[in-house]
Amino acid sequence: MPDTTTGVVVIGGGSTGAGVLRDLSLRGIDALLVEKGDLASGTTGRSHGLLHSGGRYCVNDLAAAIECVEEGRILRRIAKTTIEDTGGYFVSVSEEDLAWEPRFVEGCGKAGITCERISVEEARRREPALSKHVRTVFWIPEDGHLDPFYLVMGNVESARRRGAQARTYTEVTGFTRDGNRLTGVLTRDTMTGEETSIGCKAVINATGAWAGFVARLLEVEVKVVPVKGVMVVLSHRVAHATINRCHKPGDGDIIVPALSVAILGTTSARVPHPEVLPIEWDEVRHMIEEGALMADGVSTARAMRAYAGVRPLYDLGAEAEGREMSRNFAVIDHEERDGIAGFASIVGGKVTTYRLMAERVTDLVARWLGVTTSCTTAEVPLNDRDDELDQLRHRPAQLGVPKPHGDELSLQPLVCECELVRPQDVAPWFEDAAVRTLEDIRRRTRTGMGPCQAAICSYRLAGRLVTDRHQDGPTATRAMADLLETRWRGVRPVFWGSQLRQAQVTAGLHLELFNLDRQLMFQSQPPSDALLPPPLPGEGRGGGEEAHAPEVASKR
Amino acid sequence: MKADVAVVGSGLAALIATRSLQKAGRNPVLIWPGLSSLYFVYATVDVLGYSDATSLQPVEHPGTGVAALIADHPDHPYARAGLDALGDGIALLMEWLEEAGFRWRGSLDRNLLLPTATGTPKPSCLYPESMAAGDLGRDEPIVLCGFEGYEDFVPELAASNLSRSWGRGDQSVRAIRVSLPGFEPGKMFTSIDIARNLENDAFRREVAQQIRGKASRGGDHVRVGLPAVLGLTHDTDVYERFQSELGHPIFEIPTLPPSVLGLRLFDRLRKHLQETGVEMIWAAPAHEAEVSDGQCRRIYLKSAGREHPIDARAYVLALEDMVDGALRAGVHSVVDPFFHQSLAHHAVPTERTDESLFKPQPFASIGYAVTDRLQPAAGDGHPLASNLFVAGGAIAGYDPTGTKSRGGLAIATGHRAAQEAMAA
Repeated sequence: MPDTTTGVVVIGGGSTGAGVLRDLSLRGIDALLVEKGDLASGTTGRSHGLLHSGGRYCVNDLAAAIECVEEGRILRRIAKTTIEDTGGYFVSVSEEDLAWEPRFVEGCGKAGITCERISVEEARRREPALSKHVRTVFWIPEDGHLDPFYLVMGNVESARRRGAQARTYTEVTGFTRDGNRLTGVLTRDTMTGEETSIGCKAVINATGAWAGFVARLLEVEVKVVPVKGVMVVLSHRVAHATINRCHKPGDGDIIVPALSVAILGTTSARVPHPEVLPIEWDEVRHMIEEGALMADGVSTARAMRAYAGVRPLYDLGAEAEGREMSRNFAVIDHEERDGIAGFASIVGGKVTTYRLMAERVTDLVARWLGVTTSCTTAEVPLNDRDDELDQLRHRPAQLGVPKPHGDELSLQPLVCECELVRPQDVAPWFEDAAVRTLEDIRRRTRTGMGPCQAAICSYRLAGRLVTDRHQDGPTATRAMADLLETRWRGVRPVFWGSQLRQAQVTAGLHLELFNLDRQLMFQSQPPSDALLPPPLPGEGRGGGEEAHAPEVASKR
Repeated sequence: MKADVAVVGSGLAALIATRSLQKAGRNPVLIWPGLSSLYFVYATVDVLGYSDATSLQPVEHPGTGVAALIADHPDHPYARAGLDALGDGIALLMEWLEEAGFRWRGSLDRNLLLPTATGTPKPSCLYPESMAAGDLGRDEPIVLCGFEGYEDFVPELAASNLSRSWGRGDQSVRAIRVSLPGFEPGKMFTSIDIARNLENDAFRREVAQQIRGKASRGGDHVRVGLPAVLGLTHDTDVYERFQSELGHPIFEIPTLPPSVLGLRLFDRLRKHLQETGVEMIWAAPAHEAEVSDGQCRRIYLKSAGREHPIDARAYVLALEDMVDGALRAGVHSVVDPFFHQSLAHHAVPTERTDESLFKPQPFASIGYAVTDRLQPAAGDGHPLASNLFVAGGAIAGYDPTGTKSRGGLAIATGHRAAQEAMAA
């Protein structure tokens, strides 16, 4: 007997899996999502956040471009709060770019992308950041920024309100089957090691770059090629609108103003494993050089951190028969292809088209289950609650103007000053069992994503682990250090200019004022009962890293 | 502008150098480039907390510890400055604080272990009296008190950690919280708000009464640790009143920035210098040193759109690493702003840091190589200018973070650089 049962298990907590979960729940199908890390911690959360108008694909990949046009318009309706409708420029800076232009214009026409040629003078008037190298400019009103974190959380929250479940830090270790039919999945909690079996009628593999690993558990092959992309975050928006280079898509040719920052993207390098994503100095340097060709201020802005994501490119050659809809993503019916009933994979694609991908694979699985309700994800908005408060979206405009100290007892309350995150934005997530680490709080609220990279808010968040989650001090302190270390990893590749000043303040605060390095050394020593007092009532004995996972998990 | 000795910097090294010159009857000008590092990290003055960056055993006698360090590492800035400069500089600082109306405690004979806001014992050499009752060498049980709506000191976190590293027998740590007058759910405070409000008698008495009710449950002999918000301007005024109103010994614990302790200390010392006639030039970054015949003839300040030369007989560069812009880090080279020397070159920016934030960072050791007299040295070891001296964090080759020695090094090198400047 399985420990729990559901209708459909969705594996993968990126935009696709979250979209599938929501689609299933809107069709009234009982569903449970499992994700081996946090939601949006894989490809989705590490994307550059460009909401594609389709302009980038319209020459080489017309089908994908057309999908982007349609899906972009749908997202503007259903996921308004996840989108910054900035519009975008496609700029030419070289002879080769100019030669690309006729094909670009033709592609936009075929795909139905609104595209307007404007004079460089007019473009500079609208966007003074355009560099002196810019020779011609197209205005593409439907490019924008899509916040990948809010998109995933919004889909999952919408599904949860309809009874779906999501389990984070839950890895699939195997399947149960009855002959050729899947009857469930076996999972393991990656923090506690706890094993659970989940009975179900169907399983959807929505793990993107990891799809091959999941399929292999059933001894079937799904060929996904992991291709790394490196991004650089600048500390301010640099430009008002997205800027693309008008050429054959290449490295370092996208600038996306995203909330309080700008993101430069990206590179393309095949990697042996989706979790091996080294950031090379040449990649960072190249991105900044290329970005500076398009916009002033890229080379002088403070580069705040670098990160790498992995594209799940689907190897179409061998799988042509599994392809249902498009060159860019494929739904694989494993019953038809491999004789495993109740198992489907959705591979390839990109964040902009996540909804369509979810719709296609859910169509297949609904058919298996005999559910005839049609897909409504293109009509029902993500945030369809009655209450106006949208916890997922932090809105600086709502904060008002902080009062200068002197005239009032209190200032506008903020947990993270860099990203203007309020206590009420953070508090509910401390009650969510899916949230296990402070990085998970960051992904849901942007806390710690600003210029100080959690130097200040990490202490406040650790405090809340103790007061709101009743963790012991060492566990919360370890979590605080983990958040700082994760942020530090992204800072190191862009360590020049005022980054050094920031790092000195961060180190001064945590190592000198708090003596945190000694706190961590002390915690990692094997506990010696002769030296330690008995635990306080209601507390476990914190013993550093080992104690971390069970402690957090016990609050689930 | 002409000057006797120009001191450039906004940290403790600059303050000590200026004071040393003033006390010796000289006429220093203090050029203050911007916000002081004191605001961020200073609360106590740490001379030597640990003998190295990996030791967990605190140094008990900082004076002896520094002497041993000097014997083992003749190139260390402490060795360059000399043990006497440290002793004399500390004597100068303690006397100065007293003259300025502040009460500080401590000496080179002993490090006190004081709890931090994470509940970690930290060895501290000099400290304001308002922190002294936190001494973890004492036995009284500790009650850590936080305020609703103030998240920059979390007593539950600190108490939970402290109870593991400290506490035998009767010793215990407990966390309590009180609501400040005017608090309502959703309201939040900064350290500055609370510090200012605690200067108000009625406000403070109400807070004291609340704390008394909760703290006394731990017995008559408890001591109460509070975030360092006991008054914005004076170091003992609010502390003393509050302590007598509360009826228990109290002690301050430094918090997240803005650090009220750093604010109080820096503002008081700066104002005292001004009250006693030292000329200060504010918020003017200094750059470009003009050198001829082995002497620095002038330095230039950037102010309001034009350059402003300062001609002094001698100069003390007492800049604190990166915080006040002493060093300019390009992608590959770190360059000093005065001589445009490349102080370090890195093929890849990643080389400047350790994989862990909590380990010694290569970038923190970047700075001027100095001569035995603290003059910035050229590659061949000769001084770049015979009348220019470096103090504080801008000296190469050491990182005070792991050994908790930033304050002591600032004092020793600041004092020594001032002596050298007078002799130049």
